[in-house]
Amino acid sequence: MLTKGRGTIVVLPAVVWLAIFFLLPLAFILVVSLGSRDELGRIVLDRPSLDNYRRAFNPDYLPTLVNALRYALLTTVASLLIGYPVAYWISHYGGHRKALLLVLVMLPFWTSYLIRTYAWMIILRDNGVVNGLLRAIGLTSEPIILLNTDFSVVLGMTYGFLPFAILPIYVSIDRLDDNLVAAARDLYASGRSAFLHVTLPLSMPGIIAASLLTFIPAIGDFVTPDLLGGAQQTTIAKVIQERFLDGRDWPFGSALGFILIAVTMVGTLIALRRVRREIVGE
Amino acid sequence: MSDPRDGSRNQVEQALERYLTEQQMTRRELIERIGALGALVALAPIVAACATGAASVAPSVVAPTATPARTTAAASAAPTATPVPTPVPSPESELIVYNWLDYIGEDVIPSFQEKYPVKVKYELFDDIEVAYAKLGKDGSGYDVSFPTSVDIPRFSAAGTIIPLDKSLLPNIANLGAEWKNPGYDPDNTHSVPYVWWTTGVGYDTKKVTDSPTSSKALWDPRYKNHISMLDDYQEAFGLALIQLGYSANTTDTTQMDAALALLKQQKPLLRTYSSDTVGTMVSGDVWIGQIWGSDLYQINQENENISFFIPEEGGVRGSDTAVIYSGAKHPIAAHLFLNHLLDAKVSASNTNTIGYMGPNEAAKPFIDPAILADPAVNPDKAILAKLEELLDLPNAVDQEYLTRWQALKAGG
Repeated sequence: MLTKGRGTIVVLPAVVWLAIFFLLPLAFILVVSLGSRDELGRIVLDRPSLDNYRRAFNPDYLPTLVNALRYALLTTVASLLIGYPVAYWISHYGGHRKALLLVLVMLPFWTSYLIRTYAWMIILRDNGVVNGLLRAIGLTSEPIILLNTDFSVVLGMTYGFLPFAILPIYVSIDRLDDNLVAAARDLYASGRSAFLHVTLPLSMPGIIAASLLTFIPAIGDFVTPDLLGGAQQTTIAKVIQERFLDGRDWPFGSALGFILIAVTMVGTLIALRRVRREIVGE
Repeated sequence: MSDPRDGSRNQVEQALERYLTEQQMTRRELIERIGALGALVALAPIVAACATGAASVAPSVVAPTATPARTTAAASAAPTATPVPTPVPSPESELIVYNWLDYIGEDVIPSFQEKYPVKVKYELFDDIEVAYAKLGKDGSGYDVSFPTSVDIPRFSAAGTIIPLDKSLLPNIANLGAEWKNPGYDPDNTHSVPYVWWTTGVGYDTKKVTDSPTSSKALWDPRYKNHISMLDDYQEAFGLALIQLGYSANTTDTTQMDAALALLKQQKPLLRTYSSDTVGTMVSGDVWIGQIWGSDLYQINQENENISFFIPEEGGVRGSDTAVIYSGAKHPIAAHLFLNHLLDAKVSASNTNTIGYMGPNEAAKPFIDPAILADPAVNPDKAILAKLEELLDLPNAVDQEYLTRWQALKAGG
């Protein structure tokens, strides 16, 4: 057993890591968000104020937040709907190929996310692979617009975050004691009923972890809406990116960023409380 | 801000371009390879390019032989029209230059090092905002860099860049008339122009068959879902303002509102706000879009059906400059380098390599005739007169534009 003192030493690297790479940047963002910019675009901190936050609560930005939430939600639902059966299948029917199948799930990570998103552009565009195929088999004569739509954004995000959904669900299903399902069947539960009342509730921690791991990166993702979205698909993360780069207004970008982080954190904490309840069974 | 290689053009795009250039591959070839070999195989090297990206972009052109100074002996020689080095003060032995990736003629640094006993440290950036952050208030050790013209007024006002000593820049006489007194830097006191480009409209002649001449074609409902605007608020508002007969740099909020109303009308017809016009026009997604004239050459490499025009209402001209930073440790070498860039053959070499026109009238005989004949890169005088430079606007005005731009892009 670890003593309390030793335990502290063991977690120390993680604490230092979090402090340097999470808390420090967060503090930096918070401080900058209270400043303003001078005519050279430099950050001025001598008169801290909440002006940037006042500017951020502007109805103009609401549709971008709604877009971000909509895409993140659709992505999470799609990832769960696709990820759960895949995880279930690997766990139950993977056999000795389980490890290989899990490696295949993670395989896309070997290539940069940007490059994979770029590949989707090539697949979805008007002269792209899908439209070429549809025309070749005579289904369409004019290209169907796939790229720069809500569909392409959700598709790209779902593709990108699917492994984050499959892995935690797989772990929760794989650890599940098969005897519990067998017991349910012995007590005359149908296959469907056993799944709904035993397997699904017991894999709930995995589902919630999967939801968090897809929803959080999806809501802050600006690459996918930027590359796969179009004029009608602006999200809050894209607005923040623009404020930093094109607008050269770091203080305002920081304020928007901090609001997004705060919203995400509150949401995550609520979700984690629920997870704990699920696991501890309070 | 109005630069074609701005932050709005994302890292992957740059990495991809860098890779394609290195591999001498066009996008079409890349796509074919993806089809033939499977995406992973074709794209794998780009990942490496992406990963090493910024770090590996500095294959510095380190000086070979430092030729002995031939300056001191001829100290009293008067500068002549031919670009003989002005020998007055002898240059420092080193010069540190910070430039865009792929943005200089291949022989420009070697010929400078041959002419003067100066060893050039040449470093590269691929995002102007990153470069500005690194250069800071005084250049942070860099002597010469290449800011966008719109940023010159604030840099000179802040003392970030120094006033130039014209006696060391005899080649400034080579500049064309329209570059002697540019709006962003009257009389070229703090900067010398480097290369320039125009913003106009590109269209696919197969889809847009009536040879449009007005920017109103970008509001034509026949092209719904196949129209694009640049993802740059000064450019997008500039086009709308000029179409309405106003200045692209207006500070009048009523005119800005009129432009916003016009752009809002256009938004439902748009496919995308994107500065990757090479990508959107080659892919067939966009039939007609606002593009930087300098991108046309690359677009035509892959789709020869794309034509370009500068709207009859007028358009926007952008340029990059060469400047010396206030913290420069090698100011004389820096002046000699700026003078070197103004040399007719050097300027022509830049144009022939990167495909942008320079401001150098004397360079024209040495420029590739194909570039000179391209109206997108080298428009004729009548059109030049209708071009307006984008200016750096005060924060308060900038804010007015940005607020409207965000409202436009965010609005449903």
